[in-house]
Amino acid sequence: MTAVHRSVVYDWLRHDKKFPHVWCPGCGLGILLGSLVRSLAQGGYDKNQVVLVSGIGCSGRLPVYVDVGSVHTTHGRALTFATGIKLAKPELKVIVVMGDGDATAIGGNHLIHAARRNLDLTAIIVNNLTYGMTGGQYSPTTPLGAKATTAPYGHSEPSFDISALTVTAGASFVARSTVYHVTQLDQMLGQAIAKKGFGVVEVLSPCHTNYGRQNRLGSQVEMMKGYKKQAVRVDRWEKMSPADREDRFPIGVLADHERPTFLETYQGAVDRAQAIRKEG
Amino acid sequence: MIANEATTKRGKPQTKHSFYPAWCKRCGNCVAFCPVGILVSDEWGYPRQVDKERCTGCGLCEMLCPDFAITVGYEKPGAVDLAHPASALDSPEVTQEKSDAAKAASNISPERLAPVPREEK
Repeated sequence: MTAVHRSVVYDWLRHDKKFPHVWCPGCGLGILLGSLVRSLAQGGYDKNQVVLVSGIGCSGRLPVYVDVGSVHTTHGRALTFATGIKLAKPELKVIVVMGDGDATAIGGNHLIHAARRNLDLTAIIVNNLTYGMTGGQYSPTTPLGAKATTAPYGHSEPSFDISALTVTAGASFVARSTVYHVTQLDQMLGQAIAKKGFGVVEVLSPCHTNYGRQNRLGSQVEMMKGYKKQAVRVDRWEKMSPADREDRFPIGVLADHERPTFLETYQGAVDRAQAIRKEG
Repeated sequence: MIANEATTKRGKPQTKHSFYPAWCKRCGNCVAFCPVGILVSDEWGYPRQVDKERCTGCGLCEMLCPDFAITVGYEKPGAVDLAHPASALDSPEVTQEKSDAAKAASNISPERLAPVPREEK
C-alpha cells in the first residue's frame, strides 16, 4: 500500500462550502474529518464509491464538507438511511458519522440492531460525553457524577460503554480511539472501512465549550492531554488490575472477527426461495 | 515565498511549512502538541515557528489542526510561511482574504472582525 500524502485532504474537501467550518475552535471533529479523508484516500477509494451519512448534531455537519455523496438525515436515523442505501446499492461504501446522542439515545435501537444484523456499514461514533450542539445536556454517555446543563448537581445515571455495547450486539469490528491519537485513528478508520461487516469506531472527542466548561476541565488542549493520560492500549488494559483501571479506558481494536453479513444471509434466503419455486 | 534550500541541524532538507491564516481559529492545538516545542503563539494567538532547524517534519501540527490551516511539506495557495514575520499576517492580501472569509461565514459588521488580542492567563 502506498502512502498517501496528507495534502490529499484538500482534494476531498468541498471548497465551495463555507470554510473555516462551523465547529468551535479546537473541536475534535475537524481532526476526525482530516483523519477520515486520509484513511479513505489511503484505502484507494474513489469519491463516487463512497457515501457519508450523518444524523443531527455537531457531527451531522461533517459529511457536508467532504466531496463525496452525502446525506444529512433526521435525528438518530442515520443508520436506517444508510441501511437503505447499502441494500439498494451494495457496491457503495457507506460510512455513517454519528454523535453519542445520535447513536446511543435517539438511535440506540438502530445501533444495536445494525450490529446484530451485521450489515456491511462503517459507523463512526463521535463520543464527546454530552449533547454539545444543544447546550450541554446529559447524554447516555455522560459519566456518573459529571455536571451537565440538565444535571447541575452531578449526573445520577451510569454511562453507556459504546464499544462494549456494540461488541456484545455482534459487530464484526469494534475499535476505540481518541482525536489525540490521530495516527492510530487513521489506522482504525482504515481497518473499519475495509472490514466486511458492521464496523464501529468510537472516537473520543473533546467538547470543551459545553462539557469541559461545566466540569472545569479547561480548554481542548487540557482535555486532549487528559485523553493521553487516561487511554491505555488494549493489550496492556487486559493485564491491568481493576484498581488501575479506575478513570481509564482501553483504546485500540476491541473486536475483530468474521461473521456472515446481512447481504449474504439475505441472498441465502433468496436462493432458497427461488430453488423451492423452481421445484414447485 | 518559502525557501527550500536550507537544511536542518542533521543536514536533511528542511520541510516546507505553510500557514493559512484565513482558516485558523487560534485554538492552540499546534502550539500545545508540537513534540519539539518550536511553535509559539504570537500576540494574536496565531502559531509561529521559532526554530525552523529543529523541526522534524512529523506533521503532527497539521494532523491535529482541526481547521486545515497548517501544511507540512507542501504549499496551499494563499498560505504564508509558518515562520512568518509579524507583517505577513497584516499584508493587504491576507487581511482582505481573512475578512472575506469571515464575511462569508457570517453577516457581522467589518468593524467587529478586527482581531482581538488574547489575554494572558
